[in-house]
Parts: sequence; C-alpha cells; structure tokens
Amino acid sequence: MTTNTKTATRTRIARVSSTPQASTTPSRRKKITLWASAGLGILVVWQVGFTLFAPAYIATPIGAILAIPTVFADPIFFPDVASTLGAVFEGLLIAIVAGTIIGLAMGRLPDVNRVLGMYVGAFYAIPLIAIVPLFTVWFGYTPQARLAMIVLEAVLPIIYNVAEGSRIVSATYLDVTRIHRVAWWRVWTGVVLPNALPYVLAGLDLAIGRALIGAVVAEFVTAIDGLGTYILFNVHSFHQNEAVIALIVVVIFALVIRALINLAVRRGLPWYQPVKEA
Amino acid sequence: MNRRTTRHRLRVLSGYVGGVLLGAVLWQVIGTIAPHEVFDSLSDTLARLWQIILDGTLGTALWTSFQTYLVGMVFALIIGAFGGLLLARRQLLRIALEPYAIALYATPMVGIIPFLLALLGFGFWPKVVVIILFAFFPVLLNTQRGAQSISPELLDVARVYRTRERDIWRHVILPYTLPFLMTGVRQSLARGLVGMIAADFFLSSDGLGGLLITASERFDTAEMLAITLVITVIGLALMAIGRALENHFARWRVG
Repeated sequence: MTTNTKTATRTRIARVSSTPQASTTPSRRKKITLWASAGLGILVVWQVGFTLFAPAYIATPIGAILAIPTVFADPIFFPDVASTLGAVFEGLLIAIVAGTIIGLAMGRLPDVNRVLGMYVGAFYAIPLIAIVPLFTVWFGYTPQARLAMIVLEAVLPIIYNVAEGSRIVSATYLDVTRIHRVAWWRVWTGVVLPNALPYVLAGLDLAIGRALIGAVVAEFVTAIDGLGTYILFNVHSFHQNEAVIALIVVVIFALVIRALINLAVRRGLPWYQPVKEA
Repeated sequence: MNRRTTRHRLRVLSGYVGGVLLGAVLWQVIGTIAPHEVFDSLSDTLARLWQIILDGTLGTALWTSFQTYLVGMVFALIIGAFGGLLLARRQLLRIALEPYAIALYATPMVGIIPFLLALLGFGFWPKVVVIILFAFFPVLLNTQRGAQSISPELLDVARVYRTRERDIWRHVILPYTLPFLMTGVRQSLARGLVGMIAADFFLSSDGLGGLLITASERFDTAEMLAITLVITVIGLALMAIGRALENHFARWRVG
C-alpha cells in the first residue's frame, strides 16, 4: 500500500499534471520492456503449464508458431479467411446504409421513433445469437444465414448511435436553413447527414465486434466455409495449434479495423463528442 | 396551450400503442400466411409458450441457465473488481497487462469456446468459464478507469488527517470506484447473457440455448419464437436492473 502514499506525495509537487500517475510515468522504453516481458511471461506459463498438465493436442505457443507454415500452406485457409472477412465487410456495408437511414429517421421524426424505438431497444438488449437457429430455418445452412446474422448484429449499434446523434442537430443550423427556405432534402443531405457521420463511425466501432461474433456463431452452427468453421474443424481433429492461428487472424482483423476507425474520427472529425453508450 | 399538450400526449401515446399493435398484427398475419416451419403466428407462439410453461420444459431450462449465469456473473464481478483495483493502484501491473486486457476484450469470445470444450469438456463449470470470459472485461476495465481517476485532492485530504491505509480504501477509494464498477456491471449483464446462450449452444446442449437448438432441429418455429420471446424479456429485465444499479450509485459519482 506504500505506492499510494508515494503517488499522493509526488502529485503534490506536480499538481499541474492531470492524473496522479502522470508525474511518475516511466519512460516509453521502460514501458515497452515491461509490456514485452509480461507477454513473454504469459507465454512461458502457458507453454510450461500446458506441456506438463494438459494432453498433447492442447495448443501451446511454440506449437502455434510451428503451425504457421502449415496453416499458410493449407489450400483452404486463405479462401476461408476471405469468406468470413468478406462476409463481415459486406454485412457491415449493408448495416451502415440501413442503419444510417433508419437511425436518421428515428432521430429526426418523433413518430418513427415511437413506433420503431422499442423494437430497436428490445433487439439491442437481447443476445442476438439466439436468432441463429431461426435463421438456419429461414436461410438454410448457407452463407446467407451468416450474412443476415452479421447485418442484424451490426445494424443495431449504428441505428442507436445515429438516432441519438441526429437528435442533437444544432437548432441554429436548422434556423438558418429555414430563413433561407432551403429545400427539405437539402437540409437532410447538407446538415443532418454530415452531423450524423461521426455517430455512424461510433456505431460501426461497436458493430465490428458484434459482427464477428455473429459470423463465428453462424459458422459454428451452419458449418459453412469460413474461419469459424476452420477453428471448429481443426480443434475437433486435434489440430488446435492451427486453430489458434485462425483465431489470432480474427482478433487482428478486429483490432486493425477499430484502430482505423479511431484514426478516421481523430483525423477527420475532431469535433465529435461521443454519445453515452447504451 | 392545454389542449395542445393533451393532443401531443395523445399523439405520443398512439405512437407507442400503434407500434405495439402494428408489430403484433404483422407477426400474426405473416405467421398465418407463411408455412408453419418458416414462421409462426403470434397466437401459435403464445399457445406454445403456455404449453412449455405448463409441462415444465421452460422452467427446467430457465433454472439450468440461471444457475450457470448467476455463478458466472458472481465470479466475473469478483475477478473484474479486484483485477480492476489492482491494475489501477499498481502501475507496473497496469503497464504490463493493460494492452493484453484490451486485446482480449476485442476478441470474439465465441471463438475460444471450442478450445475450452477440448480442455475442460462438458458440464457445469466449463459453461461458467465461458460466462466469466464474456462478462468480466467490462467490470475490469470500468473499475480500473474509475479507481485510476480518483482525484489526488481526495487522497491528499485523507493523508493530511493521517487516515490509515485501510480506511482510505474503505472511505475513499471503494466509494469513489463503485459507480464506475456499476457501469461495468450493467455492460456485463448483457454480455454474460450472450455467453450463457453461446455456452448452451456449443457446450452441453441444455438450458435455454439447448432448447432453442432442439426446437430448430424439429423445425418447431413456434417454440423457437416463444423461447426468443422469453430471452427478450430476460434481456430487457437485466438491462433495467443494470440501469437501476447504475443510476442508484451514480448519485455520488464524481466526474
């Protein structure tokens, strides 16, 4: 508990700094060393623990690294990556368009909001993967079932964010358009839509993780080609190390897209203030 | 003025009522027109719901799922709260582990389920592990953010009065962090529910999720819709509980 005392004493000297820790922050190099050694520690514990106490087919770090050439040489791996990530991209695009339109309508037209609001709220509150069995009945065990799942998962946070965001269009802007008798469609394309843009991105940021969950669950249930099926198949045939590589690909995809969105918001839309999360 | 507000209220009310009615009528009409194995009407769904309530299927499944959910959530809360406090108050640990926590938070946890199945097998505890994995990150990260943002003034005042370390935790750090923790709990309640259904799907197939899977194998659309309806009610109730908890503790939230 002495750290607290130290932190508190030090901040008394460096009151200008915003956080208690700021004055005691170690150098960047020290941070990276710490971070890397922790990572190494986790991997060593994983490797040693699983080698000693788990069956041989359980994945280990060294096993996974050794499996990389096998995975990349596997003729079905890259088509599976393309299949899943392509479907996620397609689903996200559909969700952006549909989510923006529905969200704008809900945000700007109170009547639409009253009718649709509770359905959007209800769907947002439930674990949507519960709908997968129903989708398999409707779409069969096909890629369409997966796409439908991705769209459904991704569209809700976008609708929610755009609706919340477009509710707070500055009244001054709208007054100006009224004074100049601007046509209604130009108000929508010129004021309301640009205002909603950052909220589309904020919704998209939340949508990506959900879309990936939807895609993987749909693949687990339907066994159509894709990364989820690749993981499932390899785990079941005692090739866990290969499956780990596939899982890492999914995680990297999620992290890269989210980093790109954050970059886009910071560079392109610095004025944006996020809405409170649902 | 008065007449205008009355008319406005009427319009708001009719919007809500109309929304419900429209949904119900659409459900009924589409369900009646469509083949039974594709979609079933609201009345058939409610009849089936009544049936599975009476024969105890639903009750058994609810109880099974509820047990795993409750145990998983309790563990997620304890691990998340302690982990978050530890990361917030121990800078070395935070620098070392935070990037991994964030990366794991971004991982679609369903992808880990097959590995867990191979490692832990079927049964009660593997499911609990799945729910913990889904649910504990929001608690961890929110607790950490909260405990880390305690203003130095609060701690300084405590020090000036020579408050014991234990009392600083009890009277400053924990009360300050609690509202943040509750935000994490609200987010976790929903994620844990996703974990519960996923665990029911892909580990031992029982509980609500197992019921859904078996219904889909029989093409029993009415039962699937009935269970989905139950899950929706549970989801909304959990969200309301989460909101209430958060608002209750938000009263003394600072900043």
